[in-house]
Amino acid sequence: MSTEHTVTIELNGRTVTVASRPSENLRELLRRLGMMSVKFGSSSGETGAAAVLFDGRLASADLILAAQADGHAVTTVEALNTERELHPIQAAFTATGALQSGYSAGAMILGTLALLQQNSDPTEVEIRDMLSGILDRETAYVKPVEAVKRAAAVMRGEKTEPFAPLILEPMTDGTNSVEYDPQQRAPLAPPSVPRLIPSRDVPEMAVVGKPEVKVDAVKLAKGNPAFTDDYEMRDLLYAKLLRSPHAHANIVAIDDSAALALPGVHAVLHYGNSPRIKYASGGQSWPNPFPHDQVSFDNKVRHVGDRVAAVAAETVEIAEAAVALIDVTYEVLPAIFDEREAMLPGAPVIHDEADTEHIFDRERNIVHEIKAERGNVTAALAKADHVFEQTFRVHQVQPAPIEPHISVAWIDGDERMVIRTATQVPFHTRRMVAPLLGMEIKDVRIIKPRIGGGFGAKQEMLIEDIVALLAKATRRPVRLELTREEEFVSSRTRHPQTLTYRTAVDRDGNLVAQDLYVLGNTGPYGTHAYTVQTVTGLRGLSSYNALNKRFHCDVVYTNIPVPGAYRGYGAPQAEFALEAHMEDIARELGRDVIEFKRQNWVKVGSELDIAPHLGERAAEEEELDEYPKVGSSGIEECVAQAMREIEWHRRDDSSWVQPDDRPNIRRGIGFAFCMHGTAIPFLDMGGCSIKINDDGSFNMLVGATDLGTGADTVLGQIAAEVLGVQLDDIKVYSSDTDMTPFDTGAYASSTTFISGTAAFQAAKVVRDRVKERAAMLLDVAIPCTIELRDGRAYAPDGRSVSMADIALDSLHTQEQEQIMGTASHVSPDCPPPFAAQMAEVEVDIETGQVTVTKLVMAVDCGVAINPITASGQVEGGMLQALGYAHCEEYALDDEGRMLNASFGPYKIYRADEMPETTVFLVQTMEDSGPFGAKAVAEIPKDGVAPAVRNAILNATGVAINELPFTPERVWNAIHAV
Amino acid sequence: MPLIAAYHRPDSLDKALSLLADPSRTPLAGGTIINADREPSDLEVVDLQALGLDGIEPVDNRLRIGATATHRAIADSEHVPDALRELAKRDQPASLRSIATVGGTIASTDAESVLIAALLVHDALVELAGADHMSLATLLESGVPSGALITGVLIDPSGVTVSRSTGRTPADTPIVAAVARSTGDHITLALTGVAATPVIVPVGDPAGGLAPPGDFRGSATYRTHLASILSARVLGALR
Repeated sequence: MSTEHTVTIELNGRTVTVASRPSENLRELLRRLGMMSVKFGSSSGETGAAAVLFDGRLASADLILAAQADGHAVTTVEALNTERELHPIQAAFTATGALQSGYSAGAMILGTLALLQQNSDPTEVEIRDMLSGILDRETAYVKPVEAVKRAAAVMRGEKTEPFAPLILEPMTDGTNSVEYDPQQRAPLAPPSVPRLIPSRDVPEMAVVGKPEVKVDAVKLAKGNPAFTDDYEMRDLLYAKLLRSPHAHANIVAIDDSAALALPGVHAVLHYGNSPRIKYASGGQSWPNPFPHDQVSFDNKVRHVGDRVAAVAAETVEIAEAAVALIDVTYEVLPAIFDEREAMLPGAPVIHDEADTEHIFDRERNIVHEIKAERGNVTAALAKADHVFEQTFRVHQVQPAPIEPHISVAWIDGDERMVIRTATQVPFHTRRMVAPLLGMEIKDVRIIKPRIGGGFGAKQEMLIEDIVALLAKATRRPVRLELTREEEFVSSRTRHPQTLTYRTAVDRDGNLVAQDLYVLGNTGPYGTHAYTVQTVTGLRGLSSYNALNKRFHCDVVYTNIPVPGAYRGYGAPQAEFALEAHMEDIARELGRDVIEFKRQNWVKVGSELDIAPHLGERAAEEEELDEYPKVGSSGIEECVAQAMREIEWHRRDDSSWVQPDDRPNIRRGIGFAFCMHGTAIPFLDMGGCSIKINDDGSFNMLVGATDLGTGADTVLGQIAAEVLGVQLDDIKVYSSDTDMTPFDTGAYASSTTFISGTAAFQAAKVVRDRVKERAAMLLDVAIPCTIELRDGRAYAPDGRSVSMADIALDSLHTQEQEQIMGTASHVSPDCPPPFAAQMAEVEVDIETGQVTVTKLVMAVDCGVAINPITASGQVEGGMLQALGYAHCEEYALDDEGRMLNASFGPYKIYRADEMPETTVFLVQTMEDSGPFGAKAVAEIPKDGVAPAVRNAILNATGVAINELPFTPERVWNAIHAV
Repeated sequence: MPLIAAYHRPDSLDKALSLLADPSRTPLAGGTIINADREPSDLEVVDLQALGLDGIEPVDNRLRIGATATHRAIADSEHVPDALRELAKRDQPASLRSIATVGGTIASTDAESVLIAALLVHDALVELAGADHMSLATLLESGVPSGALITGVLIDPSGVTVSRSTGRTPADTPIVAAVARSTGDHITLALTGVAATPVIVPVGDPAGGLAPPGDFRGSATYRTHLASILSARVLGALR
């Protein structure tokens, strides 16, 4: 019945006629025609990643059949790539830092083109409306909106200034607080412009600290092939998975005969024909924390969406049809979903298999019990002047990168397994997948191309074993791309937790003890279970000084979709509970909340005394001779800037809180103190290799994994600063296990600090050798007197040679050598970044609807190597954190089936509803980081939920201790008072 | 994407009706619903794009919106009342607005569509080929008659229309929305999110007869509460 149609379209001004299957959609057709800028985000089109111009209108190509397009004009971003130079719209997107991963760059640029063709001077509302159809988890739409404005201005013929931060005068001396002055107003500037508050401790530099354009910006703006799915393979097979319809069941039998008999099917894998090799899927350092409770294909399923079987076939459609033909007999078992029920007598045992070791209490589903204590908490609580106890519940959410998980595996000419994959952890994946294939690590190569966002979901070996096993079975290349629904039900999520704080306070308002009990829900598998919950303990007990601290955590198995890593990694859960708890204590004590928190928060010199007692390499001793200390903190400057920007005094003005002209509205402002970590001390490690080229440029190879964060750019800036060249002279190649040095991967806010220091040190090795070669050429006796700047080497007397002269001399002329340097770095330090997070809300007290009207975050991330990419991290982090606070949640039915496994029902913020966001980067000089840098990637995830919660409290007087703040929950809370 | 077994693009209404006489065939308007279906199936689709059903034009004292007029066309049309234009925009984000059609939306009977609610309060009459025209309210109750095809919708563009809604975020699909239109001597009120389709409710007791289905975004009790509050707000705005 299925017959091909002839489809003729005008593609980018050229008439193209092709044959097309009736089921083929326009996205598939365009990609088949080489238009790789058109991306898959979901089959229902709401991500907009596949948006093109269809007869000049922005339209998601996922939802248009190729046959429907017959006779129409289709424009993709490739239409703009007529020259090497960028089109003004593409240039505006690169100049403003609007492209992080750039996965949806084509759609945004085309939307801009269509908008500006209709209206050369659109309003911000019109721009945001255009972007409403393109979901973005990375930028919070701040810089894309700015990019459209700049493109419009350029195309109107107006002159624009380079996009750069607004430099502000410090309000404090860097250490001490200043009294809040309600009369002071923050300097006016568009919210898209990051505010930078320099530190006098930071010297002026040539490349570091500058708003350099990302090194991958051009290919992203042009939509050139860059992502996993953008490279064509001959003889490619397509994989599809059969997934469990049951939350908990034994597989009694599988009959794959009908599937195998289907023409075009090449392999079906399941527990009956696959090796049973135990592993933990979390991308973590060797040895992976226990338990190793997964196998590639098991005879038991533990959540709806769990793997049952995999098929490789000639087409996706055949693979789907084959999956439907696999006959599985299940023995359905009782299931549990709530962590509070998992330990109860009679609860079903989720891991009853004999070959999973190191489960703390199998019969009660307790995977881990984690304990740490400093001082004597019980005694301190017993004799304290005040004791406050509160319980909080945090829920399950998804990182939801717009690019789903995708991997392609093939056997190369040397009979080695090559896997090109969207991963945050290529080196961990290589080590972890090899034994599952029965191969040695040396025979596996992982290539990480550009990634369309990860946020922790890709800190996992999620599907690489499947494509590799199928490639091994078929000896053909195999591709597997998850659908959006699969991404929701089988990817990784944030651990739900129930957290109970007990805090003792003396009569002067000093904390004397904090006791935190956490019940963590790790779902059916223990991936990241141990480390995430220890980070909850670490973050939940490090922000405030108290002589006595105790952390006790039970981590339990349930049958919910699998939790794992998600940007923030245990911290957002802790920070929500902690900052809500501290707010309520201040109110109970009648104290100003900031003053109360300030009295107790850690300062420079404070010991971080719980840290060494938690984590994979926790100290075994009860007491250590020395504890890590806070080395730098810009929190007072952060607080001062944030209070001024949000106009903090309004929260005490009843006429503002309760506006006369809107009787159902209450307004509020909330604050959260944020402190995060920078990398995992003694564990995270990164390497870098740099060599010089004939023209004085450099190739830099790094294992670090750029997820769109700008890591390649930041590491390049560090090397360029050391070598005295422009960023454009550093050509960065990253994340290929055959080509680049090792790196643990992109997680734990580690890349700038760890991999950046490796880049710094490797560049210093090269710099020293360049100076020696320059000294030879310039006849200077002491090489260290040579200065490198502006691409030249200068003698003390002013004579100079170019970097190219040095390169040519060293490569071709005398005493030939390859000038090169390698270095790796692991740190004993974990310098905390700090931040002040503010939120302004409106609450409709009749409906419970909360509208977040403004977010302000002032961050001390040390020296921001690139203030544009750093502010982009903060903006995007706040968007995700706002979703966590406000609208994102997993909804499961009584059988464990997800009710909202698509965008829309699973609500993430769009461009036309984001509140105003303003970012301040408060410089401090962190001596342990490269050029003074600390982390910035994860701290924006920490403060939004408690700040919104505290703002709702300010607005309504109602304290809500469970996320998210959906209308009915808020309405119920208001009316329960 | 569903498995489309065959694609037809008739160039006349008669040919379309002839094709659709086979009940295994499905009309394809824009594609935001059919082409987004994640379940593989054996669909045979009849694309309506060549039938010239996309016009928006005044007819006597009513406004005729062709079945394949897109949400964007409605939002951009100067003939369409402002509130209805805004709700057409609200119904879909920008990248879907040029694909989704009024006919497809009506056929979906989507309980949460504010566009359907707006059409209801504008006394929408659905034009059908292969069957008698019927009011939108009736069609929402009974569905599109077998073998019939929506060719357009006639509305009364007069009056003043306002809407209020509650969602998780400002642009969220509303949990409940109220849309009301006043013609001076008469007010029509419609709600979304309280029944299997958008419904017209009595102005005097908007929530009285409701038995909303609850879900994770709002329980039945909460939706009933919102129906009362939001109805009061739109009625208050009109008075």
